[in-house]
Amino acid sequence: MEAYRQEIILGAVVVYMLFCVLTGLWAMQRTRSPSDFFIAGRGLGPIVIALALFSSTLSGFGFVGGPGLVYSIGVSSFWMVVISSTGYAVGFFLVAKRIRMIAELRNCISLPDIVAARYRSEAVRFLMAVTIVLGVMGYLATQILAMAVVMQAILTGTAMFADISLVACVIISSAVLIFYCVTGGIIASVYTDVVQGTIMMIAGTLILFTAMSVFDGGMAEATSIILADDSEAIMPFGAAGIMASLGWFFVFGLGLAGQPHIITKMMMNKNISDNRSILPMSLFGYIMAALLWISIGVVIRAAVIDGVIDPLALPDDAASVFLSVFASPLLAGIVFAGLFAAIMSTSDAFLNIGTAAIIHDIPKAIRGHSVNNELFWARVVTVLLAIVAASFALYSHYTDATLVAILGAFGWATFSASIFPVVAIGLNWKGATVMGAVTAIVAALLINFVVQLGGIVLPYGISGGLVSFVTSLLLFIGVSLLGKPPELDADIESVLNI
Amino acid sequence: MRSSLILIIFAIVILIAGVLIAISLAQPVANSGGIPHPDISGMQAGGDGAARLEYIGSLAFAFQCLLLGLVVCLCALGVSARRRGREFMIYMGSSLGFMLIVWWQMYSRHQEFLESGSTAYFMGFPIATAWQVYGTWLSAIPLILIYSIGFRKYIYTREDEEKFNHLLAERKVVEQKLSENKASESQ
Repeated sequence: MEAYRQEIILGAVVVYMLFCVLTGLWAMQRTRSPSDFFIAGRGLGPIVIALALFSSTLSGFGFVGGPGLVYSIGVSSFWMVVISSTGYAVGFFLVAKRIRMIAELRNCISLPDIVAARYRSEAVRFLMAVTIVLGVMGYLATQILAMAVVMQAILTGTAMFADISLVACVIISSAVLIFYCVTGGIIASVYTDVVQGTIMMIAGTLILFTAMSVFDGGMAEATSIILADDSEAIMPFGAAGIMASLGWFFVFGLGLAGQPHIITKMMMNKNISDNRSILPMSLFGYIMAALLWISIGVVIRAAVIDGVIDPLALPDDAASVFLSVFASPLLAGIVFAGLFAAIMSTSDAFLNIGTAAIIHDIPKAIRGHSVNNELFWARVVTVLLAIVAASFALYSHYTDATLVAILGAFGWATFSASIFPVVAIGLNWKGATVMGAVTAIVAALLINFVVQLGGIVLPYGISGGLVSFVTSLLLFIGVSLLGKPPELDADIESVLNI
Repeated sequence: MRSSLILIIFAIVILIAGVLIAISLAQPVANSGGIPHPDISGMQAGGDGAARLEYIGSLAFAFQCLLLGLVVCLCALGVSARRRGREFMIYMGSSLGFMLIVWWQMYSRHQEFLESGSTAYFMGFPIATAWQVYGTWLSAIPLILIYSIGFRKYIYTREDEEKFNHLLAERKVVEQKLSENKASESQ
């Protein structure tokens, strides 16, 4: 079996991609309206939503960047993972019920639709849509690039595709993503998420058992090797220190309820009462999949320190080195398919919300109505958005690597800082005002931009994302308290009372 | 408590901002955010753990206590004000207590290690890290249980469901009238 390692891995990835294409074709027959395309007609069951929620949360960053971070900074990065239970709890308490109610009551198909209804403001809708488009461009470009890099690594290991270029890999992987997103919209997206989530859970569990068998003494031996080398790296705050760690708890924990690609899925369930089972199921799935992050990272760091393997050229190589050295070809195939699943499940969610912002929300905010024939334009813009993001990723890769990084700053932290107060608090506090919302969004964007562009390093590992999040919370509540309590539409006020 | 929850949240965020400012102004330590590993490129090391916490340890501890308080207050904000009765607040208070105990155990076990230089292991990790990995994950489980088990009592009661269905029916009537008016205008 070892002689056919690359072929087995390639076969697993091809089977997975074929499944995505077939799902797109199947979902196309069920997609008849913009509501079907963007929010699956609010008709999804609890298991589908639960798997879609957690698989969208754990992107390629979790499968590639996560183990790399443990290799690089030790336990510090665990904080991004262990906050998941807190993050999901906050998200469901604050967002899940009311976003679903307003979506049905006002026939909303996007997050900006929700805030426009809540605040009776097109300005808030516009700012929310612009924030989403900026964030989506950065996120999508990095995901497409990651997908292509992984594909190139797999294909160059085979004799037939030994010389395949990165551009070709971008085209192949993007084509599959675009196909199922365009044909089947969010229906294809969430049903592929179901399989993607399942693969990720299986991969996470199998990797944990493999990782525990690398050292005779199991995980305890691996952690004791790290402890002997540098105790802080395996202690709770890792190499990056206590404030970097607790900052991640803040930004990733509370911030989960501010991620548009995640909370938009909370609008799609058939019954509001399903939320009671969706929450524990999502969390269970996330924990199973995240085992990969922790176990690979710890074992690779210990193996390098112990001299079992050579130091990595790049921290992000941790997962692929682990798979090539310690995993059987079959497991490597499943995990590589899981890696594509993680990247694609996040990418399709971003494509969907980005498209909604461009064809539905920005036109509505500017001229009072969205484009005619939304379904047709949704498909066209999905293709264009993916092409622009792919081109942007390639341009950045070959000419200016900082471009994706700059827009990448409009990732999780910016979404957390700009969306959490406006949506998560705004849906639960009648005193939240338009001025508070506008101030919070603008401040969050500005602070993240300035810290990123200025290369500002704060003391004790305090992140710019944490500062912008705390500032936007302060401004949102403070400015709202200073203003006159807003008048709400009667139906929205009733929802906020329920 | 009910009407002042947003003010409590605001006060906690102000205190968090104050703690962050105090930490920023504290005496800097060279390895506070990690240092390059002496032998392996691409790897960071933490170095002297006690030195890193010398000036900000208690502030960071307070930061996390405030953050956990903020988490629980935000979850309570998500529940309708009239359902935040005594029983609910006891549950939420107990959840906060559980989260604070986990945090305190993690922090104090790390302090013990820094003083003694030795540690026991639990399920593959040094004790302090085990509190972080398993404890932090588990510490929010009470909140999830309150949400899932108490869903029909606190989050979305049968009465809430009826109210919402009534709202939907009202909305449909309004929309129907609007479409009829539009149709008559166009004729």
